[in-house]
Amino acid sequence: MRKELRQWAEILRERALAAGLSFPPVLFEEVGPEEMAMLAAYGGFPRRYPHWRWGSEYLRHRETYRYGLGRIYELVVNTHPVRAYLLKSNTLLAQKLVMAHVFAHADFFQNNLAFKPIPKDMHEEMAHHAAFVEKAMERHGARSVEEFLDLALSLENLIDPHAPYIRRPEKEGPEEAEPPKRLRVRPYLDPYVNPPPEPPKEAEEGGRPEPLPPRPTRDILGFLARYAPLAPWQKGILEIIREESLYYVPQAATKILNEGWATYWHTRLLLPLLSPEEALEFAELQAGLLAPHGFNPYRLGYLLLKEVEERWDKGRFGPEYEALPLGERLTYERPTGLGLKQLFQVRTVHTDLSFLDTFLTPEFALRQRLLNPEDLPRFAEAKKALLFRLTNGGYPIVELVDANHGNRGELLLEHAYEGVELDLKKTQAVLENLYRLWGRPVHLKTVVGEKETLLSAGS
Amino acid sequence: MRPIERDLLRFKEIVRGEVKKKAREFLTREELFGQVEGRLVSIPLPQLELPKIVYGEPRGEGLGLGGPGTEGLGPAGHVPVAELELEEFLDLMGEALRLPRLRPKGEGEVTEEAFRYTTIARKGPRGLRHVRRTLKESLKRALITGEYRPEEPLLVPEREDLRYKAPRSKPRPHAQAVVLFALDVSGSMREEELRLVKTLSFWITLWIKRHFPRLERRYLLHDAEAWEVSEEEFFRAREGGGTRLSSALLLAEEILKAYPEAFYNRYLYHFSDGENWQGDTPLALEALRRLLPTLALYGYAQVQGPYGQGRFLEDLKEALGKEEGLAATEVRGREDLPLALRRLLGG
Repeated sequence: MRKELRQWAEILRERALAAGLSFPPVLFEEVGPEEMAMLAAYGGFPRRYPHWRWGSEYLRHRETYRYGLGRIYELVVNTHPVRAYLLKSNTLLAQKLVMAHVFAHADFFQNNLAFKPIPKDMHEEMAHHAAFVEKAMERHGARSVEEFLDLALSLENLIDPHAPYIRRPEKEGPEEAEPPKRLRVRPYLDPYVNPPPEPPKEAEEGGRPEPLPPRPTRDILGFLARYAPLAPWQKGILEIIREESLYYVPQAATKILNEGWATYWHTRLLLPLLSPEEALEFAELQAGLLAPHGFNPYRLGYLLLKEVEERWDKGRFGPEYEALPLGERLTYERPTGLGLKQLFQVRTVHTDLSFLDTFLTPEFALRQRLLNPEDLPRFAEAKKALLFRLTNGGYPIVELVDANHGNRGELLLEHAYEGVELDLKKTQAVLENLYRLWGRPVHLKTVVGEKETLLSAGS
Repeated sequence: MRPIERDLLRFKEIVRGEVKKKAREFLTREELFGQVEGRLVSIPLPQLELPKIVYGEPRGEGLGLGGPGTEGLGPAGHVPVAELELEEFLDLMGEALRLPRLRPKGEGEVTEEAFRYTTIARKGPRGLRHVRRTLKESLKRALITGEYRPEEPLLVPEREDLRYKAPRSKPRPHAQAVVLFALDVSGSMREEELRLVKTLSFWITLWIKRHFPRLERRYLLHDAEAWEVSEEEFFRAREGGGTRLSSALLLAEEILKAYPEAFYNRYLYHFSDGENWQGDTPLALEALRRLLPTLALYGYAQVQGPYGQGRFLEDLKEALGKEEGLAATEVRGREDLPLALRRLLGG
């Protein structure tokens, strides 16, 4: 990396630390557009298992850049140390902005609670996964492994995003004589080292068999990896996909907040350092970043954080403030200077969902022209729709209710219907895939045309 | 090879496989028809998207609070698209449909000057200065005049040392072709039949163009008389009077005079329902006897209209079936298209 850039990285790092951010070491690397396209396709990692969808993504990024339709200025990876890739062709000012932005992301990764259970050595994990899949391809043929990957990837959102936080005993109930010793290994190795327990034998035990799963679970991938009649390498792949999906959950769940936070800090750290010529270029970059077309997480996150800072600086919170009518709220002032403190608090405890739920007010929507005054009565409804789209990463919530449905070993899934129907064609295709994995019919309870409906595959 | 290149190759391989698998479907995809002149073909690939359990159409959103998914087409309207070079796409289609390669007739070649910067000149624009050759000349001169000192090997080129990259014209053989489409509009051709004709002529044009990049196109319509029209006019549905197939052939003969067979591969395609005026068929066959030897191919496609079809195809096969360069076929519906296309291209 250029010496000048290294010096700036140091200056910005110190300023960030002095301002109260805290983060692990950050390694910057400048890369060309093709390498950036590759890293973006691979989700930030230089090594992933072989699959055509990375190729498709790579092509998309590369062409987007080639035709000048967009560029990726920077890419940050949540590992320890944090790795950040900067596009080589950025101007010096853009690199400064991006580096300041990156330090704030690094702070967010380290301090936001959603990232707490996420392993920090994903580089290694991803490389292990790649090696595992490559090995499977050598042994079982590239095409059959690819086919299985296609199947398994269609289930990649059937995870429990809370799984990393949940600590449950392996099994409940007193009759469990002696739990088999489990060796702690990488999850995809688990089926080899710790073979799944035999399902309880009904006849021998006489009593009612324990339901499988004991309680409804959203961790369908995990369940299949454990109980589906698959070869060990197939179970390994299910585990890999489950683990990688879980890794990206917090990033998807905090996109608005994280980008808002990084934008807030690059602005704050860099503005005082700008020469007059740079100020103009900065304004241009900033305008591009915060452009109001479509849904722009940078814009919404940044504006809402600024709003929170201002409200807490001016004491616009608490029961006294809440009790005021809308008109008076806009001018209410009780200087406290608590803005920055509140921002750090927000950064630590919120995800996009709770962030918007808590702070997206009609005042804010009006001021930022997200809403026309005549639409004010429908604010609550619009907000609800927005929050709904952020729930569970925008995916429907599906639970596995019964793995022995109808006492025939069939799977019964249930969609937590919230007023929005599923895409039936795609859902049906996924059910077919599930059927191929499970080997017995698969059913999904959902609502179609306001009527409870059972979608099935294999029966 | 970097791993991402491996993934990209695999992706492209799958796309190619999909094109071949769906070649028959692409044949009648009308949205492709607008793309003839483009360099790239966009190929919708819904089956390449890994299905997931997702929401269907979102509820109508009146308010602009935004939110993920308001960008672009949204989850339901989104179809992944791959792009292929037109040439590659055509080759894949050709392979899948077993379309024959077209061979230029010996004389149908013209040579064309093509410039390549392969030689060196003493004069030229700055931008084309050949640094290495210039320094070489400079060194030669310094050695000859004894100015060169190895301990300080500084070379200062003088005007006479300057060398430039220069073009040399290189004749390149180039085959050219003309294709003439004639369409019988006498009453019985309707929307669906026209669509079949349009599909066939679209692919015929592309395929000929794939082999003869310098392709000219002419269009004519006829009922009892024939007249030349523009490409757009050609595909507009209309109804006319009686039929004289010979009128089209005579006009074609006239038009093709501008394209001497020594320089052009001449293709003539004729679409009709085969109902011809009694007494005209001998005239048409006679015109064809004259024309056939001068053509790369005469393609006759008899399209079945709502009132059945005439007997020109039979007459034609009976009279000229053994002649080379005759490609006759019948099209009763979409399912006949792949075979008809292959036949019409001489396969």
